Amino acid sequence: MAIAISEIRAGDRLARLWRRSSSFVVGSALVALLVLTALLCGFVSPYGPTQVLPNAILQTPSAAHWFGTDGNGMDVFTRVLYGARYAIAIALPSAFVMVAVGVPLGLIAGYYGGVVDEVLTRMLDVLRAFPSIILALAVVSATGQSLINVVVVIGLIDAPIFARVVRSEVISIRRSDFVASAVVTGNPTWRILFVHLLPNTIKGAAALLPLRMAWALRVSATLAFVGVGIQAPEPEWGALIRQGAEYIISGQHWVAMFPGIALVIAVFGFNLMGDGLQELTDPRLDVKK
Amino acid sequence: MTGNSVILAVARAILTRLLVAIPMLLGVILVTFLLIRIGTRDASLMLAGPFADAAMLERIRSNLGLDRPIYEQFFIYVGHLAQGDFGLSWISGRPVIDEIRPRLVATMELLLPAFAIGGFAGASLGIASAFRYGSRFDHTSRFLSLLGFSVPTYWIGLMAIFLFYSVLGIAAAPMGRIGMASFPPPPVTGSVLIDGALAGDWEAVVDALHHLALPVTILAIIIAAPILKHSRIIALDVINSDYVSYARSCGLPPRIIRQIVVRNSLAPILTLAGSELTGTLAAVSLLELIFAWGGFGQWGLNAILSGDFAAVQGYVAVIALFSIAVFLVIDLLVLWLEPRTRS
Repeated sequence: MAIAISEIRAGDRLARLWRRSSSFVVGSALVALLVLTALLCGFVSPYGPTQVLPNAILQTPSAAHWFGTDGNGMDVFTRVLYGARYAIAIALPSAFVMVAVGVPLGLIAGYYGGVVDEVLTRMLDVLRAFPSIILALAVVSATGQSLINVVVVIGLIDAPIFARVVRSEVISIRRSDFVASAVVTGNPTWRILFVHLLPNTIKGAAALLPLRMAWALRVSATLAFVGVGIQAPEPEWGALIRQGAEYIISGQHWVAMFPGIALVIAVFGFNLMGDGLQELTDPRLDVKK
Repeated sequence: MTGNSVILAVARAILTRLLVAIPMLLGVILVTFLLIRIGTRDASLMLAGPFADAAMLERIRSNLGLDRPIYEQFFIYVGHLAQGDFGLSWISGRPVIDEIRPRLVATMELLLPAFAIGGFAGASLGIASAFRYGSRFDHTSRFLSLLGFSVPTYWIGLMAIFLFYSVLGIAAAPMGRIGMASFPPPPVTGSVLIDGALAGDWEAVVDALHHLALPVTILAIIIAAPILKHSRIIALDVINSDYVSYARSCGLPPRIIRQIVVRNSLAPILTLAGSELTGTLAAVSLLELIFAWGGFGQWGLNAILSGDFAAVQGYVAVIALFSIAVFLVIDLLVLWLEPRTRS
């Protein structure tokens, strides 16, 4: 009985969430699909991600090879599935770097103001005036091509965006009574920053996270496509599209098409989720409904 | 407002923009300079090849100035840059500026029409969605914009080449700006399109248009998506503002209301479009790569891949200069559209 009631409540909650933001529900479902694929690809896929099938080179999609095979005789379906692992391995850690670097910076800049704030704002101006994909390309290509480098560079380039969001939230509550009382009761500054201010400012940063993860996926795939970053035969989607690019004119579209569709679904999922999250957390949009 | 004070306001806007722009430009150059230099393997090893001896490596280093401390290298570079000297390409040995100039025209040939089409389409669809807030039209255009936002430029380019060239055979071969069989018109501006028209060579003009059609359309779609998304939000804010409610309650006809909304949304949309335009340089570089366009973007990507440091710096500096120029133009347009900002 108790289970039934909680089930009804869960269903009810989902229905209400759906009414408030269908994008959030659909986006979360797509992201869940991505995570599931990353977890289960080892069980589902019929071949190994870099297993060469010498008798099956550039074959059209068929029952044996749903997405066909590439020029090395590797199964494209398997490789696309395994690409989900790279997507997660890039999106999660780079999001971690963005938050770990950006949020403390924003707290400090917002709380102290002055020089730190000035430097941060200027850095943001510089970044805004420059296409970040090109910055990422130049830096990764110069610093060496590994997964760690790709993740760190993407995370660092995006950290100021988080810093800005947290900073403006801190500025808006810096003068409130609860901060003042925390100061007079003798809390150390780090405690005020991370225990008192952080929970009140994290909402905006959290709502930003899926959108920036979508961006991280796009950038890492772009790097791999250009030939910087993760390289074939690793089954990263951008690297797969790069492999497929040479067969486009001769008409073997499947090598590039399927990893691209997977990439679009993943990026779209994160974007939808982020859009929905902003819909749910933005009081301005709420009033209009 | 008298004519004199308008000129004063414009001069002030240009001056403040430039005052902000110069440190920004230096910042971009410094950041890329440091990041690239700290990470780069010793360039002299790469340039000299595997059989060079120590004396030769030393000579290359001192030729390129690599034996000096890094801050000195930076000041030397910026000093030369201020005089319009971008240095010599490490690979070709030619002045970087001579390599950039003709290619920049090819890139603008793609970028400017695509931006005009995409920007106009995105802004009009965005404003139209805002007027139909919550309707099926609104949902559809929002969905499409988010989808366009999520599709990688290079992938949609490849798919379009497959469909329109390999399957349907209606697009031009994705190999440059003009067909292999046709002769390019005598270069005046560097744009095949304009040069063809100047020379009265209509065959070349049609050929150039044929080659432009596919990449420009793709780029326009890529540009339209974010502009649609943001202009919808901007127009929504205007529609829900007090002055529009007031105008409504005064009984002004819908046509006038629409005019008011469009006029008031235009300035923020323009500002936004400006920052999108600089971001578009990345998309255009990738498209050039796919269409073998031979423009500035493709050249820059190749420079990055081959580790041609002087060329990469030139690429970065030109992009930064371009975005500063765009912001300046946008500022002036906003000044012209919004009398409020003139005081």
